[in-house]
Amino acid sequence: MNSPTSEFVHTTIELDMSWRYASGDEMERFLNGIAQRLIEAIRCPQCGRRYLPPRPFCGRCRVRMTEWVPVADTGTLVAWTVVHLPIIDGRTGEPRPFPYGMGLIQLDGADTALNHYMATADPELLTIGARVQAVWRDELEGAMDDIMHFEVMP
Amino acid sequence: MVPPDERSRALVSVLGTAETKVTFEDPRSIPEMVLAVVEAALEDAALGWHDIDAVVTASVDLFDGLTASSIAVTEVVGAVMKPETRIAADGLAAAVHAVHQIMAGAYRRILVVAHGKASMAPYWDLTAWAMDPIFLQPLGVNFLTFAGLQAAMLARHDPHAVSRWATTAALRRSAATGGIAGPISVDRVMASPVVASPLRAGMCAPVGDGACAVILGDPNIGDRNLGEEDVRIAGIGHDVGPHHLMIGELTDWAGLRRASQRAYTLAGVTKPTFAIVEPSCLFPHEEELFVEAVGIGTTAPHSPGGGLFAGTAPVISGLSRLLRVVRALKGRTGERGLAHGTWGPAGQGQVVVVAETP
Amino acid sequence: MTSKMTPETTPETTSRAMTPVAIIGSGQTNHAKERSDVSQPELVREAVDAALQDAEILPEDIDAVIFSNMELFEGRAFPELWVAEGAYGNGKPVFKVATGGTSGTSACIAGFHQAGSGIFDTVLVVGFEKHSEGHTQTGMALVDPFWDRSVASGALGNFALSISQYVSEYMAGRGVTEEHAAQVAVKARRNAANNPHAHLQMPDLTVDEVLASRMLAEPLHLLDMCPQSDGAAAIVVASRDTARKRGKAAAWVHGAATRHDQPYLGDLDRRLVTTRAQRSAAASAYAQAGITKPLRDLDVAEIYEPATYAELAWYEALGFCEDGQAGRLIDDGITQMDGELPVNPSGGVLSTNPVGASGVIRVVEASTQLLGRAERRQVDGARTALATGYGVYAWSDVIVLRSEMP
Repeated sequence: MNSPTSEFVHTTIELDMSWRYASGDEMERFLNGIAQRLIEAIRCPQCGRRYLPPRPFCGRCRVRMTEWVPVADTGTLVAWTVVHLPIIDGRTGEPRPFPYGMGLIQLDGADTALNHYMATADPELLTIGARVQAVWRDELEGAMDDIMHFEVMP
Repeated sequence: MVPPDERSRALVSVLGTAETKVTFEDPRSIPEMVLAVVEAALEDAALGWHDIDAVVTASVDLFDGLTASSIAVTEVVGAVMKPETRIAADGLAAAVHAVHQIMAGAYRRILVVAHGKASMAPYWDLTAWAMDPIFLQPLGVNFLTFAGLQAAMLARHDPHAVSRWATTAALRRSAATGGIAGPISVDRVMASPVVASPLRAGMCAPVGDGACAVILGDPNIGDRNLGEEDVRIAGIGHDVGPHHLMIGELTDWAGLRRASQRAYTLAGVTKPTFAIVEPSCLFPHEEELFVEAVGIGTTAPHSPGGGLFAGTAPVISGLSRLLRVVRALKGRTGERGLAHGTWGPAGQGQVVVVAETP
Repeated sequence: MTSKMTPETTPETTSRAMTPVAIIGSGQTNHAKERSDVSQPELVREAVDAALQDAEILPEDIDAVIFSNMELFEGRAFPELWVAEGAYGNGKPVFKVATGGTSGTSACIAGFHQAGSGIFDTVLVVGFEKHSEGHTQTGMALVDPFWDRSVASGALGNFALSISQYVSEYMAGRGVTEEHAAQVAVKARRNAANNPHAHLQMPDLTVDEVLASRMLAEPLHLLDMCPQSDGAAAIVVASRDTARKRGKAAAWVHGAATRHDQPYLGDLDRRLVTTRAQRSAAASAYAQAGITKPLRDLDVAEIYEPATYAELAWYEALGFCEDGQAGRLIDDGITQMDGELPVNPSGGVLSTNPVGASGVIRVVEASTQLLGRAERRQVDGARTALATGYGVYAWSDVIVLRSEMP
């Protein structure tokens, strides 16, 4: 628009809201496992797909899932990017330093991939098919960011 | 009984219904609650997942604290590689849209699902974000304060209004067997704290967590699952009135009058008498606006199970009213029922379904 | 991903041909980064008045209104309650459809169903978004609080992950290069220069400039991405009888399909390569419309491409070319204005993106082409048009319109 903004009246309202989310049984078990450095996927009895995040129901086969399978904290990088924009850290509410690496990681023992931070932001060090390993926090709280990031294995 | 010459061509059949027990806080996640009611509705309909052509969901992002909150339920409503539409309004509007889809010949059987969890965040505070941000929201109003404003206007020239509403609230709460808030005496209603003058806490229907599912089907396809005795939807209508309701519609649910008229026209209803009437009224004064607007007469009974005073949840109210109407009509012949839903401040959005049995 | 899982086994819904309906008019605002000269209802009014004028009808001729909007972007709930007056909706049947990027196309399909239901003769569908009045990044950040909210990189980073897979497939004959993507960016912004409504109009943009633009998230450059816009768009849908009685040109709905898919980014193997929801929606819509060779049977396409790479992936998903041939399609100019199948003469989502309106804009543009009213962006003699919607990451709508009644 050609007209300067100042000609028009605007009002500003701050939205400050928080929600209390129920995890569901499957995510609860998964996060309790994370607090012990243990990763578990849930397996579909029909297609055999081992799901992360675990969930009650295979949307493909439309059946409930109950069987748990262990998953390693190592896996394969199936996609990567380096983000050059700031983002608010969901944990601290503060902007994250950038650039930072992001990966889509298929953990050994799972059939779906998880998106997470990479230790490096150097595109030269990130390749699809690279073997990666989770880097855990010292103090585990049972949350996805107990894994700080993944690093490319030597 | 519906006079034979008034019986309409059924729009769609109601094949199955299910709801969670509403509680103040359901410990389950949204997908868990929804999966439970979807499985139960399929069982009620004696249908399998593959019998469902499409899904219409109802949810509101700000209530769920989720971007595009239907994502959370896509898998558990069986919408993977299927058509899904999400209506961000009262769940009964989702049912109305499923009727549109079936009548358009797009799908044969549609699963309609609504969920809401008031326990996740201060519900009434969230409703402030439905008020226009230029004029109304800065005044600090939300759906609760708007209901108080509406009640105050109705009580202005009616000295008995507030005590009458207390009586209504007590009546509904005691009719609600298994209601989440339990029975309450008129005296206790009147002694309860004022939440939005003249409305007192005891006059507000308890709002908690719940999910509800209804399966609708084309009555014109031959199928073992579509019995002659199925409850049919014969009329639908919805309406959105002016946002600045004080302009004229605050003390008159004119939008509901328009919505019900649309439903009556489709259903061939000339004299609105119903075997079962289930309004979505969170406050007793709304019931008076309701009976006036739908034209059933002030003495007509409604809300036999206490209505929303038994406990309800955001978004599900209207769809759960339809469930009640369908269950009440089941097995009866030539009877009609009325289900009602509303969304927005003081009844700005209105939706009505007329159900009947052949 | 390498795994032993069974491939895409989910049975598909067979869509039935719905009752014929027609789009009898449409309109849109001038889209811009910030339309601070209008409120949200006024923005909607601008598009609606244009649509009513185009359809040569009056507000009282509208029986029902459907809104499309992603309310969290403006930080609101039930925005239709405030904004309905902008669409002359007060006292009428109104509700809102909200399914992310497909909100607009799904609202249009809802309008087709309403007008085909026999209950309404004339239905107005209006999409709007006023990104400048909210905080879009925050509105998009409310993803699964247990799984990826604490490690979210925003829609951009997640989209870049899918794209990185698509690019990596190039050597295997299934992917594309940065240069292919840059050509899409150039096509979009140059086409937009012919569209007075478009937000980003860059008639002189070059491939080199796209490649030199700031890197946002490998391999996405700034100019590979859609902007955030303020804007609104509306269509008027009429029942078959209403449209026929007018005796005027109309864009008839010949096919419409919606498919949703599993929600988490990592749920699907190489999402942008397999694109199974869009392939399934296209198969259904094409079957309804009797389209067997899309490149030959379609005259113009308005597809929902939030990024350059997405457009290339959609070429394959929509059957414009064989898998792995999207790069060749753009290299050969097939989808340019003078090509065999012009794609996004309007400049597309890459040039204009008010999210709740973007899907409606696709349908506005497709129907405008069929009515011959697209002015400088008109594809001569267009009789069959495609419009699509896409939502992160798993939603697809496909719509086929023709100038003839089914």
